[in-house]
Amino acid sequence: MNEDIVDYALNYAQKKGVEYAEVRAQSQTEEVLLLRSGILETYVSAVDSGFCVRLIANGGIGFASTNKWTKEEAKEIMDLALKYARAANRKEKITFAEEKGVETKWVVNQKKKIEDVSPEEKIASFVDIDKALTSCGVKIAATMSQCTINLTSKYYVNSEGSRISAFVPKIGAFFLITVAEQGKTEQAYEQFGYSGGWEAFHKWNVEEKLIHNAKVLRDVITKAKVVKPGTMDLICGTEVTGIAAHESCGHPMEADRILGREMSQAGRSFIYKGGQFWIGSRIGSDCVTIADDPTIENSYGYFAYDDEGVKARRRFLYKNGVINEFLHNRETAAKLGTRSNASSRSINYDREAIVRMSNTFVMPGDATEEELIKDVKYGVYMKSFTEWNIDDKRFNQRYVGREAYLIENGELKHPVARPVIETTTLKFWTAVDAVSKNLEFDSATCGKGDPAQGVPVYTGGPCIRLREVYVK
Amino acid sequence: MSDMLNKTEAIVKKAKSLGADEVVAKTTFGKYRQVRFSNNQVDITVAWNDYVTDVALAWKKRVVATQIRNFQNVDANIEKLLKLAKVSKENPMFGGFAKGSFKYAKSNADKKLQNLEDPIGYVSEAIGAAEKEVGSRVESGGILFSKFEDVYLVSSEGPIGVDSRSAIELSIRAFSEREASGHGVECSSSLKDFNPSRAGTKAGEIAKLAKNPKVGEEGVYDVVFDPLIFGSSLAVWGSMASAFRIMIQFSVFVDKLGQKVAPEFVTVKDNPAAYSMSNRVFDDEGVPTRENVIIDCGILKTYLHNTSTAKIFKTETTGNAGLVFPNPWNIEVEPGNMRKDELFKEVKRGLYFTNTWYTRFQNYARGDFSTIPRDGIFLVEKGEIKQSLKDLRISDNVLNMLNNIVAFSKERQHVHWWGEADPPSLSPYALIKNVHITKSR
Repeated sequence: MNEDIVDYALNYAQKKGVEYAEVRAQSQTEEVLLLRSGILETYVSAVDSGFCVRLIANGGIGFASTNKWTKEEAKEIMDLALKYARAANRKEKITFAEEKGVETKWVVNQKKKIEDVSPEEKIASFVDIDKALTSCGVKIAATMSQCTINLTSKYYVNSEGSRISAFVPKIGAFFLITVAEQGKTEQAYEQFGYSGGWEAFHKWNVEEKLIHNAKVLRDVITKAKVVKPGTMDLICGTEVTGIAAHESCGHPMEADRILGREMSQAGRSFIYKGGQFWIGSRIGSDCVTIADDPTIENSYGYFAYDDEGVKARRRFLYKNGVINEFLHNRETAAKLGTRSNASSRSINYDREAIVRMSNTFVMPGDATEEELIKDVKYGVYMKSFTEWNIDDKRFNQRYVGREAYLIENGELKHPVARPVIETTTLKFWTAVDAVSKNLEFDSATCGKGDPAQGVPVYTGGPCIRLREVYVK
Repeated sequence: MSDMLNKTEAIVKKAKSLGADEVVAKTTFGKYRQVRFSNNQVDITVAWNDYVTDVALAWKKRVVATQIRNFQNVDANIEKLLKLAKVSKENPMFGGFAKGSFKYAKSNADKKLQNLEDPIGYVSEAIGAAEKEVGSRVESGGILFSKFEDVYLVSSEGPIGVDSRSAIELSIRAFSEREASGHGVECSSSLKDFNPSRAGTKAGEIAKLAKNPKVGEEGVYDVVFDPLIFGSSLAVWGSMASAFRIMIQFSVFVDKLGQKVAPEFVTVKDNPAAYSMSNRVFDDEGVPTRENVIIDCGILKTYLHNTSTAKIFKTETTGNAGLVFPNPWNIEVEPGNMRKDELFKEVKRGLYFTNTWYTRFQNYARGDFSTIPRDGIFLVEKGEIKQSLKDLRISDNVLNMLNNIVAFSKERQHVHWWGEADPPSLSPYALIKNVHITKSR
């Protein structure tokens, strides 16, 4: 990364008399290990380095990027971005909410540096997991695993005096397993993510979790019964709580959706000005508080400053069941007359930073998991999910259980095969009457943007109990 | 030989001189342009210039790959990559890269897409067309995307080739009301015949029809799929034909070669033809691309292969190699013999879906999935659209849907949209019977 060229590009833009300009450079060393049934298919190792300019001129935004580190190229892309910004010819001029320039440097530390871990050790770690999985006593038909490592250096400058350097190592792992028993198959995937060093690998307990998943899938084939559809209580395990928080709270609270900027791709939101829901509207019961917090140390969605140079902080999206605070970047904040809350993220130098979640989770309550179960006469405990989706206004959602059990008179009974809850955001969060105190996180890759930008996030929460919902 | 081809070949020679057994290098100089718009205004116009060489090499069946973007340190990159191969682990299933020298078809790339003049003009045209259908209160959003790539490929095993690849796409979603929208796409490999108004008109027509939607009812319906939503299904089915997906059991087509998976009139191909946004003359091993019939008159005929997977399945590569595993390029469905309006007349009481998103599986091997139709959803009675609907979900199974296809239209459209209808396809209207529909309770 050549900081001189970045500074040169910014100076060049400022001389052109633009309303705002920023240059964001990123250099990332990336490794990907792809294994199929314990065999290393490919080991990819690459360095990607480049920079982008984004500027406002005549109330329009232009963006251009390159991976060619020369001053000539910097001028060329700056001129292109300027041409595009002016050509936008918008009636409603774009402005950014006020921010003071920041000069700082932030770094995520590694306890065991990824750079010091040999390729052999990385490969062996994943091969060993596969060996443990295939010898756990469950018939495993196929596995696929992938390890992704990113060591990212960032350098950000803007025309308001910000100058921010950062170094963020992230490690992720993804596993897909297929269990075959009695001529039937079941599948599960599991994802892990961490901001930090190789110590992540030992914190994840991958082997234990995957073997547990394999046994759950076997039990779904051999022991599980279908639940009789009807109205009943439902306890969502932490994984299900987390995905619901992400899909039906985090996404609809993204201000760019609310304002329609994602109308064609990721969609809009059930929250909009003049509609039934806005800040202050009730969307759930009193015990539902959902936060998005990028500052959780070592979390997969961690950052100290967002990609517009705004300092990160915790945001309470739904507070005691009421819509509280949207996720904003500087553009959406200006439109709604507020300040950015540091939700602007980009996956690389060649992508526009847009409004994103970080780590979205339901705040814990004070009950134990056992207390939630004890109070259920008849219902289902959905500990984890398989298929899920939600409509593009983020209102109609569906979660299908992977590990699930019947509850009768406060006791867990036999496994339930693929129970389904298909309901609205309002009904889901309004039905919550109790929240446990165990807060757990899962790693995920959140998709949005065109071209798609998969950003690392945590989803999380405690167990929650929903009263009298329809389960099939 | 061009300068870039020489430089790409130098990478291959360097790797060979350091001891690599087999090497493929592909250099791509890409220019990508995009306009994003919403609420009838341009939000941002974006330009990417990308210069990259993808290198894959094998040493004693250890397969490693890299992307070189800094051309000052090419030798050091290759040395590092080979060092990685030497400490990596053997892949006993690796069957080598494609061998031989090939003749390639002439590239059809449209040079006008190298530097697209007035991209915003195309957007205005599409917005205008939607407005003409819906009126001045229409709210439209979408993207215009163009690409031009110069591609240089050299393999130590013989293939050597140059290709240029171009594409342009306009995707527009028009809202006539808060919950009434339509989506149109216009996709092509060249500016010739590229007509953004067509996409705007389609989005506007559907948006107008979609006004005043009522919540639909659960049930089992005969459903007419618009080419755009059927393109999403084709993208899923085509991807399931990749041999890699078969090996990891990420497909309903495992162990089904030679078996009937659809009615006799259903023929599905993969073909990166000249019109397609995925048009290319060779794959990532330098094998000439070609038309591959995946489902021939209802029978599953082939998986899509690179050289390695082909050896595992005791067959030949189909020219679908990506950098790591085989992929479909562009799915085509053989047209039916009914016009669109005749196909609608086959529906006594059913639904018409125009678009979908968020397709997710419980189990790829079994094919159980759900997806959420968006934009216009309509109740159809006696072949006529009777009522706009909303808030429905398709909750069904891939093999059931394939087997329940009743008819295709004569009309086909080249469609691609975001990650939902990707890879692109040449897609007809399709009538599928007994589709399971669910909704929120």
